[in-house]
Amino acid sequence: MIELKNISKVFTKGTDVYTALRDISFKVEKGDFCSVIGPSGAGKSTLLYVIGGLIHPDSGVAMFNGRDIYKLSNRDINLYRSKHLGFMFQQFHLMPYLTVAGNIKLAFNGKNRAEKIGYYLEKCSLADIKNKYPSELSVGEKQRTAFIRAIISEPDILLADEPTGNLDASNSDILISLVKEYNKSGGTVVVVSHDPGISRYANRSITLEKGCMQLNHP
Amino acid sequence: MNPLRLVIKELLYRKVSSFIILLTVVIAGTVSVAIYTLSKASENETRKIMREQGLNLYIFPKGTNLIDFYSVNNTPAFPEDYVDKLAASKTFDAVRHLTGILQVRYPDWKDPNGSVHQIVLFGYKDEAMQRFLPPQETMGFDVEQGKVHVGSLLARNIIPGDPFTIKGSDGRIHSFEIARRLEEGRGMIDQGVAFNLADLQEVLGMQGKINKIEALGCVCSDGRIKNARNQVQAIFSDLEVTEMTSIADARENQRLMMNKYGAFIIPFVILACLIITGLLFYQNIMVRSREIGLLKAMGKSTYSILFIIIAKAFILGLAGGILGFFTGNLTAEYFGKEIFRFTASDITPLRNVFYYCILLFPLLWMLASWIPALMATQIDAAKTLSQEY
Repeated sequence: MIELKNISKVFTKGTDVYTALRDISFKVEKGDFCSVIGPSGAGKSTLLYVIGGLIHPDSGVAMFNGRDIYKLSNRDINLYRSKHLGFMFQQFHLMPYLTVAGNIKLAFNGKNRAEKIGYYLEKCSLADIKNKYPSELSVGEKQRTAFIRAIISEPDILLADEPTGNLDASNSDILISLVKEYNKSGGTVVVVSHDPGISRYANRSITLEKGCMQLNHP
Repeated sequence: MNPLRLVIKELLYRKVSSFIILLTVVIAGTVSVAIYTLSKASENETRKIMREQGLNLYIFPKGTNLIDFYSVNNTPAFPEDYVDKLAASKTFDAVRHLTGILQVRYPDWKDPNGSVHQIVLFGYKDEAMQRFLPPQETMGFDVEQGKVHVGSLLARNIIPGDPFTIKGSDGRIHSFEIARRLEEGRGMIDQGVAFNLADLQEVLGMQGKINKIEALGCVCSDGRIKNARNQVQAIFSDLEVTEMTSIADARENQRLMMNKYGAFIIPFVILACLIITGLLFYQNIMVRSREIGLLKAMGKSTYSILFIIIAKAFILGLAGGILGFFTGNLTAEYFGKEIFRFTASDITPLRNVFYYCILLFPLLWMLASWIPALMATQIDAAKTLSQEY
């Protein structure tokens, strides 16, 4: 499904040069739960955004279903993001002027929208607060809203950037169980985290250190 | 979600920024509409003032000495059909309200008490209108045959109800009904009498003759007098044109005053408002960089992102344009009452200005948001979404 071959990415700022990724290669198959672990600055988020088509690598190839993501046209790369990917972020990135339901609707225009949104809101215990705005939500509620927004269009891959980074233990467990459930139903998950504990949910785990892949547990 | 709904939600959420942008449109609309409406009112006012002030171009036979014209009676006369020929010429459009006049001093008019006075006699031909030009209300004296209008100083010597009598060149006494006793302060006519031209010609034995044409010169960009002279002399080389500059300049200065200020103030205010709007949109884009990054991560196209910015500018431009039209009219009405004596009550909303407002302001405000919108499409989604705050 996803295959990265010899991906490298270097950022420069003035005279400073920072190597975010160095010669990274790995595969994620359909239905995998892949964790990418490493300390801050290891290049985890860069790797996630390379998969998401948001950071063009300096070298190497990022493939999705056999097609080089970075050789897709603008239209196709937008389609790739909208149809095949769902993003979740540590900071949630909810639209402050949309309600819980509005934020979810933003990502989904398909059939049976109301029923489907209703189903996920019930499942994530958000049905009672669907008309509340992000400023009125707890962090756990915000992240669950962001989770529904990421998976509501039934993407092939869920890309999660430190999804539990802002959550307490109890909210982390709730969220991870939702992600696991999505994975069990056939969705592919790539989650990056500085918390090594997340790898216990994964069937494939990668550790990054200063842009280099340290371990790969198949 | 419908992108327009997203735009409206954002617009209502960021109330202060949206309100300031709306305010810039309203200010630009108010200033533009008010100045334009006042400049139109000024034109109408000028026309009315000019009607009060009288005609500003005098056409005499070439070589007429103006000192003689006003003091003695030996100035040359010319055929009254010159007026009709000028009006009939299709190239003659720099001068309107052509009025043939016979004006003479009458040194020994005897009032009903037998006292002798020097008075001035005016014979007015019906105003000639160019048929190929849009019709206009007449400006000159409209004196019926057999009647006269008597100046205020002269009228003091005639008992109301009595006729005006004058001895003709044939020695006969001619009697005329006094149709109007004119009010004081109307210049030379205060000591004179206005006749229908045919009546005065008969009194003086000058049938078919006039010695002056009074007219209203147009306000032309290449010069009033030059244009009028060229056109008159192209038809009658034996006539010359003199301009009463004080009247003409007063007219032109007033008419152009609003246009002059408008030509500077309207673009200045609109430009200033557009710059403020551009900066506010830039600030809006910076604040929304994560939202825009998220939309990109969700696969929204460049056009969708451009749309949500430019649609906001369109909505605010349209709303502000409509509000600006009404506040501009209210402003014009308020100040118009202070400025204009004759036309204050005629200041009404101009329909074509409304159409301009609903077309121009959305368009200009969309243009003002264009560069910030392009900047939004260039936002690095990965960078903004990975930033902590």
